[in-house]
Amino acid sequence: MTAPLIYVESCPVCGDGLCRIRVCITDQRLTGCVLCDECEAVWTDPSLQERVSRKPDADDPQCPSCGQSLWSKNAHWANIGEVCLLGWYDRVRVVSVKQG
Amino acid sequence: MATKPRSESAVNALRMIPTKWAVILLGILIVYVVLQPRLNQWFGWRLPSVASMVGDEKPAKATHKKGESTNNDTNKNETSKPAKKGKDVEPDLEKESKQETASSKKKPAEKTKIVDEADEERDQPINTSGKSENNNPSQPAKTATKPKNESDDTDPLYGFLTEVGRNRYESPAGLVYGPGSEEGHRLKHIARHLEDQPNRPGSHGVFKGGMKPFLTTIDEGYVRAKKGAKGTTKKEDDGSMVYEITFDKAIGFIGGEAGGRKKNPATKKLRLVVRGSNVITAFPF
Ligand SMILES: [Zn+2]
Ligand SMILES: [Zn+2]
Repeated sequence: MTAPLIYVESCPVCGDGLCRIRVCITDQRLTGCVLCDECEAVWTDPSLQERVSRKPDADDPQCPSCGQSLWSKNAHWANIGEVCLLGWYDRVRVVSVKQG
Repeated sequence: MATKPRSESAVNALRMIPTKWAVILLGILIVYVVLQPRLNQWFGWRLPSVASMVGDEKPAKATHKKGESTNNDTNKNETSKPAKKGKDVEPDLEKESKQETASSKKKPAEKTKIVDEADEERDQPINTSGKSENNNPSQPAKTATKPKNESDDTDPLYGFLTEVGRNRYESPAGLVYGPGSEEGHRLKHIARHLEDQPNRPGSHGVFKGGMKPFLTTIDEGYVRAKKGAKGTTKKEDDGSMVYEITFDKAIGFIGGEAGGRKKNPATKKLRLVVRGSNVITAFPF
């Protein structure tokens, strides 16, 4: 079985992670950001120009909008529809990755 | 005892057939007795022995190997459902997020003691699968259907860590592995680096060995890097510290798609990302 893996590029911070689109949905509002799936560096958008800092005491990477953990139930890896909705489709790569 | 009546009835049956046929049948029987083991050996057949047919011996055991359990790919959070189109984005998006969570539940689960966060994502236990410290190599990877047996669980502390809080484990060098990451726990996250993910874009560092040697190597590297020993570097990044440590010998190889293209070169280097003493990730690079 394969599933699409959506990413921007390999992480410039850790080298091993993929910068992927993470969305957080709070109060029916969708916020997109870019999250490295390895070192958890966060950027505001796929240009990877602006980092989202996390509070020093925060255990998890934080949503740039509501500040909740990007590993919380409110957040997930964006699907293609959500990437389109964010207007980032032409800035990502989509590959099929074998699962299980 | 149970065979006696059966043998008697066989003798009675023989008495009822003409001598000529009895001799022929006996001949066939003798030829079968002589050839059966050889035919089995030559052609890999499993013809039953005469003894087993009479009931004195257990039939030959099937030697089929059970299918090996598959590796738990961690890239499971991408949905495979078709992209959504539509204007009523907001309520539907909520629904999608629920489906997403539901699909992430499909991960085969092997419950261990470490992770029992309420968050279902984080409820996924540590599974170091293929290269775990499984003490019984003849046993296939545990599945969700296998009855739970505490004594047969992988030691969640790998004989190396000390529990210092709820789901928080400390190494001898003072590194803390706690809840976090996509996998729900840092130990689960770094366990992804015990196996290659050949289809993953970019590089994927793979440590050669099990969880305990991996944790030991990370500790050793951390101690050296904190002291600023030779062959180590450190760099601060938004509150995280990224350590790079070069070891005397190879600790793993470069996997992933990029590593595969280069024929998976061996590497002596480890990168360790920490926040304070909390491990974010560690992997050979
Ligand atoms: Zn990274
Ligand atoms: Zn948010």
